[in-house]
Amino acid sequence: MFSMRIDKIIRHSDDVSTLFFSSRLRSYPGQFIMLNLPRYEEIPLSLSSPNSVTVRAVGETTYALIRLSAGEIVGIRGPFGKPFTPTDGKALLVAGGIGAAPLYYLHDYLKRRGAEVKVLFGARKAEELVWKDRFSVLMVATDDGSEGLRGTVIDLLKEEELQQYDRIYVCGPEEMLRKAFTHLKEKEVLGKAEFSLERYMKCGIGVCGTCILEDGSRVCAEGPVFSGKDLEGVEF
Amino acid sequence: MLEIDVASLKMKSPLVLASGVLGSFSPSLSRVAEHAGAVVTKSVGLQPREGYRTPVIINTPHGLINAVGLSSPGCEEFSKELSKFRGDAKLIVSLFASEPDDFVKLSSYFDMADAFELNLSCPHVSDAGLTVGSDPELVKEIVEKMKSRSSKPVFPKLSAATDYIEVAKAAEEGGADGIVAINTLRGMAIDIGTRKPILSNISGGVSGEGIKPIAMKVVWDLYEELEIPVIASGGATTWRDVIEFILAGARAVQIGSAFFYSYRVFYSIKESLIAYLRKEKISLNELVGMAHKTV
Repeated sequence: MFSMRIDKIIRHSDDVSTLFFSSRLRSYPGQFIMLNLPRYEEIPLSLSSPNSVTVRAVGETTYALIRLSAGEIVGIRGPFGKPFTPTDGKALLVAGGIGAAPLYYLHDYLKRRGAEVKVLFGARKAEELVWKDRFSVLMVATDDGSEGLRGTVIDLLKEEELQQYDRIYVCGPEEMLRKAFTHLKEKEVLGKAEFSLERYMKCGIGVCGTCILEDGSRVCAEGPVFSGKDLEGVEF
Repeated sequence: MLEIDVASLKMKSPLVLASGVLGSFSPSLSRVAEHAGAVVTKSVGLQPREGYRTPVIINTPHGLINAVGLSSPGCEEFSKELSKFRGDAKLIVSLFASEPDDFVKLSSYFDMADAFELNLSCPHVSDAGLTVGSDPELVKEIVEKMKSRSSKPVFPKLSAATDYIEVAKAAEEGGADGIVAINTLRGMAIDIGTRKPILSNISGGVSGEGIKPIAMKVVWDLYEELEIPVIASGGATTWRDVIEFILAGARAVQIGSAFFYSYRVFYSIKESLIAYLRKEKISLNELVGMAHKTV
Protein backbone atom coordinates (compact mmCIF):
# COMPACT_ATOMS: atom_id res chain seq x y z
CA MET A 1 0.00 0.00 0.00
CA PHE A 2 1.03 3.59 -0.57
CA SER A 3 -0.77 6.79 0.24
CA MET A 4 -1.73 9.86 -1.73
CA ARG A 5 -3.05 13.28 -0.95
CA ILE A 6 -6.46 14.35 -2.21
CA ASP A 7 -5.78 17.48 -4.27
CA LYS A 8 -9.25 18.48 -5.30
CA ILE A 9 -12.84 17.34 -4.90
CA ILE A 10 -15.82 17.98 -7.14
CA ARG A 11 -19.21 17.61 -5.44
CA HIS A 12 -21.44 16.63 -8.36
CA SER A 13 -24.58 16.19 -6.26
CA ASP A 14 -25.70 15.38 -2.72
CA ASP A 15 -24.35 11.90 -2.92
CA VAL A 16 -21.70 11.83 -5.66
CA SER A 17 -18.19 13.31 -5.63
CA THR A 18 -15.01 12.95 -7.66
CA LEU A 19 -11.78 12.81 -5.67
CA PHE A 20 -8.56 13.79 -7.46
CA PHE A 21 -5.25 12.37 -6.24
CA SER A 22 -1.96 14.27 -6.13
CA SER A 23 -0.49 12.14 -8.91
CA ARG A 24 -1.59 9.96 -11.78
CA LEU A 25 -1.65 6.20 -11.38
CA ARG A 26 -0.09 4.05 -14.09
CA SER A 27 -3.34 2.42 -15.10
CA TYR A 28 -5.84 1.55 -17.84
CA PRO A 29 -9.55 2.34 -18.04
CA GLY A 30 -11.65 -0.34 -16.35
CA GLN A 31 -9.11 -1.00 -13.60
CA PHE A 32 -9.89 -0.33 -9.95
CA ILE A 33 -8.05 0.56 -6.79
CA MET A 34 -8.52 -0.50 -3.18
CA LEU A 35 -8.90 2.82 -1.39
CA ASN A 36 -8.39 2.88 2.36
CA LEU A 37 -9.90 5.77 4.24
CA PRO A 38 -8.21 5.82 7.65
CA ARG A 39 -10.63 5.08 10.52
CA TYR A 40 -13.12 3.73 7.96
CA GLU A 41 -12.83 0.80 5.56
CA GLU A 42 -10.89 -0.15 2.49
CA ILE A 43 -13.18 -0.38 -0.55
CA PRO A 44 -12.79 -1.13 -4.27
CA LEU A 45 -13.38 1.86 -6.58
CA SER A 46 -13.10 2.14 -10.36
CA LEU A 47 -10.75 4.82 -11.61
CA SER A 48 -12.65 7.61 -13.38
CA SER A 49 -9.36 8.98 -14.79
CA PRO A 50 -5.70 8.16 -14.13
CA ASN A 51 -5.86 10.31 -10.99
CA SER A 52 -9.44 10.16 -9.76
CA VAL A 53 -12.30 8.07 -8.45
CA THR A 54 -15.96 9.03 -8.72
CA VAL A 55 -17.90 7.81 -5.72
CA ARG A 56 -21.54 7.52 -4.75
CA ALA A 57 -22.43 7.44 -1.06
CA VAL A 58 -23.98 4.06 -0.33
CA GLY A 59 -22.47 3.19 3.06
CA GLU A 60 -20.45 4.55 5.96
CA THR A 61 -17.12 4.72 4.14
CA THR A 62 -18.42 6.16 0.86
CA TYR A 63 -20.52 8.68 2.83
CA ALA A 64 -17.35 9.91 4.53
CA LEU A 65 -15.41 9.82 1.26
CA ILE A 66 -17.68 12.16 -0.67
CA ARG A 67 -17.35 14.72 2.15
CA LEU A 68 -13.53 14.63 2.37
CA SER A 69 -11.63 17.88 2.09
CA ALA A 70 -8.65 18.53 -0.14
CA GLY A 71 -5.37 17.83 1.62
CA GLU A 72 -6.46 14.61 3.31
CA ILE A 73 -4.43 11.45 2.81
CA VAL A 74 -5.87 8.12 1.70
CA GLY A 75 -4.26 4.70 1.33
CA ILE A 76 -4.19 3.08 -2.09
CA ARG A 77 -3.46 -0.44 -3.34
CA GLY A 78 -3.52 -1.11 -7.05
CA PRO A 79 -4.53 -0.42 -9.74
CA PHE A 80 -5.81 -3.97 -10.08
CA GLY A 81 -7.93 -5.98 -12.49
CA LYS A 82 -8.38 -6.49 -16.17
CA PRO A 83 -9.08 -3.28 -18.11
CA PHE A 84 -11.37 -2.67 -21.10
CA THR A 85 -10.02 -3.70 -24.52
CA PRO A 86 -9.55 -0.48 -26.47
CA THR A 87 -10.54 0.24 -30.06
CA ASP A 88 -9.66 3.02 -32.46
CA GLY A 89 -12.83 2.45 -34.47
CA LYS A 90 -16.41 3.11 -33.42
CA ALA A 91 -17.25 2.67 -29.74
CA LEU A 92 -20.56 2.63 -27.88
CA LEU A 93 -20.45 3.26 -24.13
CA VAL A 94 -23.54 2.30 -22.12
CA ALA A 95 -23.66 3.78 -18.61
CA GLY A 96 -26.23 3.30 -15.86
CA GLY A 97 -26.05 5.70 -12.89
CA ILE A 98 -22.72 5.64 -11.06
CA GLY A 99 -21.67 2.91 -13.52
CA ALA A 100 -20.50 5.86 -15.60
CA ALA A 101 -17.40 6.13 -13.34
CA PRO A 102 -14.98 3.87 -15.30
CA LEU A 103 -16.51 5.04 -18.58
CA TYR A 104 -15.35 8.66 -18.06
CA TYR A 105 -11.80 7.32 -18.11
CA LEU A 106 -12.51 4.99 -21.05
CA HIS A 107 -14.18 7.83 -23.01
CA ASP A 108 -11.12 10.08 -22.78
CA TYR A 109 -8.75 7.20 -23.47
CA LEU A 110 -10.59 6.09 -26.61
CA LYS A 111 -10.92 9.66 -27.92
CA ARG A 112 -7.16 10.13 -27.56
CA ARG A 113 -6.66 6.98 -29.63
CA GLY A 114 -8.83 8.52 -32.33
CA ALA A 115 -11.92 6.39 -31.76
CA GLU A 116 -15.40 7.65 -32.57
CA VAL A 117 -17.21 7.46 -29.24
CA LYS A 118 -20.92 7.62 -28.49
CA VAL A 119 -22.34 7.42 -24.98
CA LEU A 120 -25.76 6.26 -23.77
CA PHE A 121 -26.32 7.37 -20.19
CA GLY A 122 -29.33 6.49 -18.05
CA ALA A 123 -30.30 7.38 -14.48
CA ARG A 124 -33.36 7.70 -12.30
CA LYS A 125 -33.55 11.50 -12.63
CA ALA A 126 -31.69 14.42 -14.22
CA GLU A 127 -29.50 15.18 -11.16
CA GLU A 128 -28.15 11.61 -11.27
CA LEU A 129 -26.73 12.08 -14.74
CA VAL A 130 -23.49 12.92 -12.99
CA TRP A 131 -20.74 14.80 -14.87
CA LYS A 132 -22.50 14.21 -18.17
CA ASP A 133 -20.63 17.03 -19.94
CA ARG A 134 -17.53 14.82 -19.71
CA PHE A 135 -19.09 12.92 -22.62
CA SER A 136 -18.96 14.64 -26.01
CA VAL A 137 -21.51 12.63 -28.02
CA LEU A 138 -24.27 11.72 -25.61
CA MET A 139 -27.86 10.49 -25.42
CA VAL A 140 -29.59 10.37 -22.06
CA ALA A 141 -32.61 8.69 -20.52
CA THR A 142 -34.21 9.20 -17.10
CA ASP A 143 -36.83 7.07 -15.36
CA ASP A 144 -38.91 10.15 -14.51
CA GLY A 145 -38.37 11.91 -17.84
CA SER A 146 -36.71 14.92 -16.18
CA GLU A 147 -34.07 14.85 -18.92
CA GLY A 148 -33.80 13.14 -22.29
CA LEU A 149 -35.89 10.08 -23.06
CA ARG A 150 -38.39 8.97 -20.40
CA GLY A 151 -37.25 5.41 -19.87
CA THR A 152 -34.03 3.52 -19.29
CA VAL A 153 -30.66 3.31 -20.97
CA ILE A 154 -31.79 -0.08 -22.29
CA ASP A 155 -34.51 1.72 -24.28
CA LEU A 156 -31.76 3.89 -25.80
CA LEU A 157 -29.68 0.81 -26.51
CA LYS A 158 -32.58 -0.82 -28.36
CA GLU A 159 -32.69 2.17 -30.74
CA GLU A 160 -29.06 1.70 -31.76
CA GLU A 161 -27.93 0.00 -34.94
CA LEU A 162 -25.38 -2.18 -33.15
CA GLN A 163 -23.63 -3.69 -36.15
CA GLN A 164 -21.87 -0.39 -36.86
CA TYR A 165 -19.85 -0.46 -33.62
CA ASP A 166 -16.47 -2.13 -33.22
CA ARG A 167 -16.84 -2.34 -29.45
CA ILE A 168 -19.65 -1.92 -26.93
CA TYR A 169 -18.80 -1.22 -23.29
CA VAL A 170 -21.38 -1.56 -20.52
CA CYS A 171 -21.24 -0.56 -16.86
CA GLY A 172 -24.09 -0.05 -14.41
CA PRO A 173 -26.28 -1.77 -11.83
CA GLU A 174 -26.71 -5.55 -12.08
CA GLU A 175 -30.23 -5.48 -13.43
CA MET A 176 -29.21 -3.10 -16.21
CA LEU A 177 -26.17 -5.27 -17.02
CA ARG A 178 -28.37 -8.33 -17.34
CA LYS A 179 -30.86 -6.55 -19.61
CA ALA A 180 -28.05 -5.17 -21.76
CA PHE A 181 -26.52 -8.65 -21.91
CA THR A 182 -29.81 -10.18 -23.05
CA HIS A 183 -30.29 -7.55 -25.74
CA LEU A 184 -26.73 -7.75 -27.06
CA LYS A 185 -26.96 -11.54 -27.12
CA GLU A 186 -30.20 -11.35 -29.12
CA LYS A 187 -28.51 -9.02 -31.60
CA GLU A 188 -25.53 -11.42 -31.76
CA VAL A 189 -22.97 -8.79 -30.82
CA LEU A 190 -21.78 -10.29 -27.50
CA GLY A 191 -18.39 -10.98 -29.04
CA LYS A 192 -17.58 -7.29 -29.20
CA ALA A 193 -19.24 -6.34 -25.92
CA GLU A 194 -17.53 -5.89 -22.57
CA PHE A 195 -19.19 -5.61 -19.15
CA SER A 196 -17.70 -4.16 -16.01
CA LEU A 197 -18.95 -6.10 -12.96
CA GLU A 198 -19.10 -5.09 -9.34
CA ARG A 199 -18.74 -7.45 -6.37
CA TYR A 200 -17.90 -7.14 -2.70
CA MET A 201 -14.12 -7.61 -2.43
CA LYS A 202 -11.68 -7.94 0.42
CA CYS A 203 -8.23 -8.36 -1.12
CA GLY A 204 -8.44 -7.08 -4.70
CA ILE A 205 -5.56 -9.37 -5.67
CA GLY A 206 -7.17 -12.72 -6.38
CA VAL A 207 -6.50 -14.60 -3.15
CA CYS A 208 -9.36 -14.16 -0.70
CA GLY A 209 -12.07 -15.71 -2.85
CA THR A 210 -14.83 -13.27 -1.91
CA CYS A 211 -15.75 -12.10 -5.43
CA ILE A 212 -16.08 -15.48 -7.17
CA LEU A 213 -18.52 -15.93 -10.07
CA GLU A 214 -20.36 -19.17 -10.85
CA ASP A 215 -17.64 -20.36 -13.23
CA GLY A 216 -14.90 -19.76 -10.65
CA SER A 217 -13.68 -16.47 -12.16
CA ARG A 218 -12.45 -13.84 -9.74
CA VAL A 219 -14.06 -10.44 -10.41
CA CYS A 220 -10.95 -8.71 -9.02
CA ALA A 221 -8.47 -10.56 -11.24
CA GLU A 222 -10.11 -12.11 -14.32
CA GLY A 223 -12.42 -9.05 -14.21
CA PRO A 224 -13.83 -6.60 -13.35
CA VAL A 225 -14.16 -6.27 -17.13
CA PHE A 226 -15.48 -9.44 -18.78
CA SER A 227 -16.19 -10.02 -22.43
CA GLY A 228 -19.78 -10.90 -23.29
CA LYS A 229 -18.61 -14.34 -24.45
CA ASP A 230 -17.00 -15.04 -21.04
CA LEU A 231 -20.29 -14.33 -19.29
CA GLU A 232 -22.42 -16.67 -21.39
CA GLY A 233 -24.04 -19.19 -19.10
CA VAL A 234 -22.75 -17.41 -15.99
CA GLU A 235 -25.23 -15.96 -13.53
CA PHE A 236 -24.16 -12.35 -12.74
CA MET B 1 3.20 -39.49 -12.67
CA LEU B 2 2.58 -37.20 -9.71
CA GLU B 3 0.32 -39.60 -7.78
CA ILE B 4 1.14 -39.76 -4.10
CA ASP B 5 -0.47 -41.10 -0.93
CA VAL B 6 -0.73 -38.96 2.15
CA ALA B 7 -1.93 -41.27 4.92
CA SER B 8 -4.98 -42.98 3.37
CA LEU B 9 -5.60 -40.15 0.87
CA LYS B 10 -4.72 -41.15 -2.65
CA MET B 11 -3.95 -37.89 -4.38
CA LYS B 12 -3.30 -37.31 -8.07
CA SER B 13 -0.60 -34.79 -7.26
CA PRO B 14 1.27 -33.46 -4.22
CA LEU B 15 -0.07 -29.94 -4.82
CA VAL B 16 -2.69 -28.81 -2.34
CA LEU B 17 -4.62 -25.55 -2.15
CA ALA B 18 -3.87 -23.89 1.20
CA SER B 19 -6.69 -22.86 3.49
CA GLY B 20 -7.94 -19.29 3.38
CA VAL B 21 -7.21 -18.78 -0.31
CA LEU B 22 -10.06 -19.06 -2.84
CA GLY B 23 -11.73 -21.51 -0.47
CA SER B 24 -14.99 -19.83 0.49
CA PHE B 25 -17.06 -20.96 -2.50
CA SER B 26 -17.40 -24.16 -4.49
CA PRO B 27 -16.78 -22.64 -7.96
CA SER B 28 -13.25 -21.53 -7.09
CA LEU B 29 -12.47 -24.73 -5.17
CA SER B 30 -13.68 -26.80 -8.13
CA ARG B 31 -11.61 -24.74 -10.56
CA VAL B 32 -8.40 -25.05 -8.54
CA ALA B 33 -9.10 -28.77 -8.05
CA GLU B 34 -8.60 -29.35 -11.76
CA HIS B 35 -4.80 -29.34 -11.36
CA ALA B 36 -4.48 -30.05 -7.62
CA GLY B 37 -4.22 -33.24 -5.57
CA ALA B 38 -6.42 -31.75 -2.87
CA VAL B 39 -8.02 -28.46 -1.93
CA VAL B 40 -8.42 -27.17 1.62
CA THR B 41 -11.41 -24.95 2.31
CA LYS B 42 -11.49 -21.71 4.23
CA SER B 43 -11.69 -22.53 7.96
CA VAL B 44 -15.21 -22.93 9.25
CA GLY B 45 -16.57 -22.65 12.80
CA LEU B 46 -19.87 -23.59 14.41
CA GLN B 47 -21.30 -20.07 14.27
CA PRO B 48 -21.26 -17.48 11.49
CA ARG B 49 -18.45 -14.97 11.99
CA GLU B 50 -18.08 -11.54 10.42
CA GLY B 51 -14.32 -11.30 10.44
CA TYR B 52 -12.49 -7.99 10.69
CA ARG B 53 -13.17 -4.74 8.85
CA THR B 54 -11.16 -4.06 5.72
CA PRO B 55 -8.26 -3.61 5.10
CA VAL B 56 -7.78 -7.28 5.88
CA ILE B 57 -5.11 -8.17 3.33
CA ILE B 58 -2.05 -6.31 2.09
CA ASN B 59 0.44 -7.27 -0.55
CA THR B 60 4.11 -6.63 0.13
CA PRO B 61 7.16 -7.34 -2.05
CA HIS B 62 7.81 -10.64 -0.23
CA GLY B 63 4.30 -11.94 0.34
CA LEU B 64 1.01 -11.07 1.95
CA ILE B 65 -0.12 -10.03 5.41
CA ASN B 66 -3.69 -10.85 6.34
CA ALA B 67 -6.03 -10.49 9.27
CA VAL B 68 -9.31 -11.65 7.79
CA GLY B 69 -10.41 -12.80 11.24
CA LEU B 70 -11.76 -16.26 10.40
CA SER B 71 -14.80 -14.85 8.64
CA SER B 72 -17.20 -17.70 7.96
CA PRO B 73 -20.85 -18.27 7.14
CA GLY B 74 -20.95 -20.95 9.87
CA CYS B 75 -20.99 -24.73 9.44
CA GLU B 76 -24.60 -25.08 8.30
CA GLU B 77 -24.37 -22.59 5.44
CA PHE B 78 -20.87 -23.71 4.50
CA SER B 79 -21.85 -27.37 4.22
CA LYS B 80 -24.55 -26.33 1.73
CA GLU B 81 -21.95 -24.39 -0.25
CA LEU B 82 -19.50 -27.32 -0.23
CA SER B 83 -22.20 -29.76 -1.37
CA LYS B 84 -21.80 -28.00 -4.74
CA PHE B 85 -18.11 -28.93 -4.97
CA ARG B 86 -17.52 -30.77 -8.25
CA GLY B 87 -13.76 -30.79 -8.31
CA ASP B 88 -11.57 -33.68 -9.32
CA ALA B 89 -9.39 -33.56 -6.18
CA LYS B 90 -9.69 -34.51 -2.52
CA LEU B 91 -11.73 -32.06 -0.48
CA ILE B 92 -10.21 -31.22 2.89
CA VAL B 93 -12.40 -29.12 5.17
CA SER B 94 -10.56 -26.84 7.58
CA LEU B 95 -12.12 -26.54 11.04
CA PHE B 96 -11.61 -24.03 13.82
CA ALA B 97 -12.99 -24.24 17.36
CA SER B 98 -11.86 -23.77 20.96
CA GLU B 99 -13.10 -27.03 22.50
CA PRO B 100 -12.41 -30.66 21.47
CA ASP B 101 -16.13 -31.49 21.37
CA ASP B 102 -16.79 -28.56 19.07
CA PHE B 103 -14.29 -29.89 16.53
CA VAL B 104 -16.12 -33.22 16.54
CA LYS B 105 -19.50 -31.53 16.24
CA LEU B 106 -18.21 -29.39 13.34
CA SER B 107 -16.92 -32.40 11.44
CA SER B 108 -20.37 -34.01 11.54
CA TYR B 109 -21.67 -31.32 9.17
CA PHE B 110 -19.27 -32.25 6.37
CA ASP B 111 -20.03 -35.68 4.91
CA MET B 112 -18.56 -34.54 1.60
CA ALA B 113 -15.11 -34.06 3.15
CA ASP B 114 -12.37 -36.56 2.28
CA ALA B 115 -10.33 -35.36 5.26
CA PHE B 116 -10.17 -32.62 7.88
CA GLU B 117 -7.53 -30.03 8.57
CA LEU B 118 -7.57 -28.62 12.10
CA ASN B 119 -6.72 -24.94 12.23
CA LEU B 120 -4.62 -24.87 15.40
CA SER B 121 -2.48 -22.00 14.29
CA CYS B 122 -4.35 -18.90 13.06
CA PRO B 123 -2.28 -16.12 14.67
CA HIS B 124 -4.80 -13.30 14.81
CA VAL B 125 -7.94 -14.56 16.58
CA SER B 126 -7.83 -14.69 20.39
CA ASP B 127 -10.06 -17.68 21.21
CA ALA B 128 -9.10 -20.13 18.45
CA GLY B 129 -6.20 -21.12 16.22
CA LEU B 130 -2.79 -20.65 17.82
CA THR B 131 -4.31 -20.17 21.28
CA VAL B 132 -5.52 -23.78 21.06
CA GLY B 133 -2.56 -25.08 19.06
CA SER B 134 0.09 -24.05 21.61
CA ASP B 135 -1.21 -26.54 24.17
CA PRO B 136 0.08 -30.07 23.39
CA GLU B 137 -2.35 -31.80 25.79
CA LEU B 138 -5.34 -30.02 24.28
CA VAL B 139 -4.15 -30.79 20.74
CA LYS B 140 -3.81 -34.46 21.64
CA GLU B 141 -7.31 -34.52 23.11
CA ILE B 142 -8.81 -32.82 20.04
CA VAL B 143 -7.19 -35.30 17.68
CA GLU B 144 -8.15 -38.31 19.82
CA LYS B 145 -11.78 -37.23 19.90
CA MET B 146 -11.83 -36.57 16.16
CA LYS B 147 -10.31 -39.98 15.42
CA SER B 148 -12.68 -41.83 17.76
CA ARG B 149 -15.70 -40.55 15.80
CA SER B 150 -14.54 -40.79 12.22
CA SER B 151 -12.18 -42.79 10.07
CA LYS B 152 -11.39 -39.79 7.87
CA PRO B 153 -7.82 -38.53 7.95
CA VAL B 154 -7.18 -35.65 10.33
CA PHE B 155 -4.35 -33.18 9.70
CA PRO B 156 -3.62 -30.63 12.42
CA LYS B 157 -2.08 -27.44 11.01
CA LEU B 158 0.60 -26.06 13.28
CA SER B 159 2.40 -22.78 13.74
CA ALA B 160 6.17 -22.26 13.68
CA ALA B 161 5.72 -19.80 16.54
CA THR B 162 5.25 -22.49 19.17
CA ASP B 163 7.10 -25.58 20.35
CA TYR B 164 6.02 -27.29 17.18
CA ILE B 165 7.90 -30.53 17.73
CA GLU B 166 6.22 -31.08 21.08
CA VAL B 167 2.79 -30.16 19.68
CA ALA B 168 3.28 -32.35 16.59
CA LYS B 169 4.32 -35.33 18.72
CA ALA B 170 1.26 -34.87 20.90
CA ALA B 171 -0.91 -34.82 17.77
CA GLU B 172 0.81 -37.96 16.48
CA GLU B 173 0.19 -39.74 19.78
CA GLY B 174 -3.44 -38.67 19.56
CA GLY B 175 -3.69 -40.43 16.20
CA ALA B 176 -3.20 -37.62 13.68
CA ASP B 177 -2.75 -38.86 10.11
CA GLY B 178 -0.30 -36.12 9.19
CA ILE B 179 0.85 -32.65 10.15
CA VAL B 180 0.47 -29.48 8.09
CA ALA B 181 3.20 -26.94 8.75
CA ILE B 182 3.19 -23.98 8.88
CA ASN B 183 0.46 -21.35 9.27
CA THR B 184 1.15 -17.64 8.77
CA LEU B 185 3.52 -15.86 11.14
CA ARG B 186 2.56 -12.75 13.09
CA GLY B 187 3.49 -9.55 11.34
CA MET B 188 2.34 -6.06 10.52
CA ALA B 189 2.89 -3.06 8.26
CA ILE B 190 2.60 0.68 8.83
CA ASP B 191 1.87 3.15 6.06
CA ILE B 192 4.41 5.97 6.25
CA GLY B 193 2.05 8.45 4.56
CA THR B 194 -0.88 8.13 6.95
CA ARG B 195 1.52 6.97 9.75
CA LYS B 196 -0.96 4.29 10.77
CA PRO B 197 -0.94 0.48 10.84
CA ILE B 198 -2.58 -0.63 7.60
CA LEU B 199 -4.62 -3.63 8.75
CA SER B 200 -7.77 -2.81 10.70
CA ASN B 201 -6.68 -5.48 13.20
CA ILE B 202 -3.24 -3.73 13.43
CA SER B 203 -1.35 -6.99 12.98
CA GLY B 204 -1.96 -10.17 11.01
CA GLY B 205 -0.33 -13.24 9.57
CA VAL B 206 2.52 -13.14 7.06
CA SER B 207 2.43 -15.63 4.19
CA GLY B 208 4.16 -16.00 0.84
CA GLU B 209 7.77 -16.19 -0.30
CA GLY B 210 9.15 -14.38 2.76
CA ILE B 211 8.30 -17.21 5.15
CA LYS B 212 9.51 -20.12 3.01
CA PRO B 213 12.87 -20.64 4.79
CA ILE B 214 11.08 -20.75 8.14
CA ALA B 215 8.57 -23.31 6.87
CA MET B 216 11.44 -25.32 5.36
CA LYS B 217 13.14 -25.70 8.73
CA VAL B 218 9.92 -26.78 10.43
CA VAL B 219 9.23 -29.39 7.73
CA TRP B 220 12.82 -30.61 8.07
CA ASP B 221 12.52 -30.96 11.85
CA LEU B 222 9.13 -32.67 11.75
CA TYR B 223 10.36 -35.16 9.15
CA GLU B 224 13.15 -36.15 11.55
CA GLU B 225 10.85 -36.42 14.56
CA LEU B 226 7.62 -37.94 13.26
CA GLU B 227 6.45 -41.18 11.65
CA ILE B 228 3.35 -39.60 10.09
CA PRO B 229 3.55 -37.61 6.85
CA VAL B 230 4.27 -33.90 6.77
CA ILE B 231 2.40 -31.52 4.47
CA ALA B 232 4.36 -28.35 3.82
CA SER B 233 2.74 -24.94 3.77
CA GLY B 234 4.49 -21.61 3.67
CA GLY B 235 5.58 -19.59 0.69
CA ALA B 236 5.77 -22.21 -2.08
CA THR B 237 5.49 -20.15 -5.25
CA THR B 238 7.41 -22.01 -7.96
CA TRP B 239 8.01 -25.67 -8.84
CA ARG B 240 11.51 -25.33 -7.37
CA ASP B 241 9.97 -24.43 -4.00
CA VAL B 242 7.77 -27.53 -4.21
CA ILE B 243 10.77 -29.80 -4.91
CA GLU B 244 12.68 -28.14 -2.09
CA PHE B 245 9.87 -28.85 0.41
CA ILE B 246 9.66 -32.46 -0.79
CA LEU B 247 13.41 -32.89 -0.33
CA ALA B 248 12.98 -31.51 3.21
CA GLY B 249 10.45 -34.26 3.88
CA ALA B 250 7.02 -33.10 2.71
CA ARG B 251 4.72 -35.62 1.00
CA ALA B 252 2.48 -32.81 -0.19
CA VAL B 253 2.91 -29.08 -0.56
CA GLN B 254 0.25 -26.43 -0.04
CA ILE B 255 0.12 -23.32 -2.19
CA GLY B 256 -1.92 -20.23 -1.42
CA SER B 257 -0.44 -16.75 -1.65
CA ALA B 258 1.02 -17.60 -5.08
CA PHE B 259 -2.46 -17.06 -6.53
CA PHE B 260 -1.54 -13.39 -6.31
CA TYR B 261 0.57 -14.06 -9.42
CA SER B 262 -1.73 -16.31 -11.42
CA TYR B 263 -4.89 -18.42 -11.30
CA ARG B 264 -2.90 -20.94 -13.40
CA VAL B 265 -0.21 -21.48 -10.80
CA PHE B 266 -1.23 -25.11 -10.11
CA TYR B 267 -1.23 -25.98 -13.78
CA SER B 268 2.18 -24.51 -14.44
CA ILE B 269 3.77 -26.04 -11.36
CA LYS B 270 2.21 -29.42 -12.15
CA GLU B 271 3.61 -29.41 -15.69
CA SER B 272 7.03 -28.32 -14.44
CA LEU B 273 7.11 -31.08 -11.82
CA ILE B 274 6.35 -33.69 -14.48
CA ALA B 275 9.14 -32.32 -16.66
CA TYR B 276 11.56 -32.33 -13.72
CA LEU B 277 10.78 -35.93 -12.73
CA ARG B 278 11.22 -37.07 -16.34
CA LYS B 279 14.48 -35.25 -16.77
CA GLU B 280 15.88 -36.48 -13.45
CA LYS B 281 14.44 -39.99 -13.94
CA ILE B 282 13.26 -40.09 -10.36
CA SER B 283 9.94 -40.61 -8.60
CA LEU B 284 8.24 -38.34 -6.10
CA ASN B 285 8.37 -41.06 -3.45
CA GLU B 286 12.15 -41.28 -3.78
CA LEU B 287 12.47 -37.52 -3.44
CA VAL B 288 10.54 -37.25 -0.18
CA GLY B 289 13.05 -36.39 2.54
CA MET B 290 16.02 -37.14 0.29
CA ALA B 291 18.00 -34.16 1.58
CA HIS B 292 18.16 -35.83 4.99
CA LYS B 293 20.24 -38.69 3.58
CA THR B 294 22.96 -36.33 2.46
CA VAL B 295 23.79 -34.93 5.90
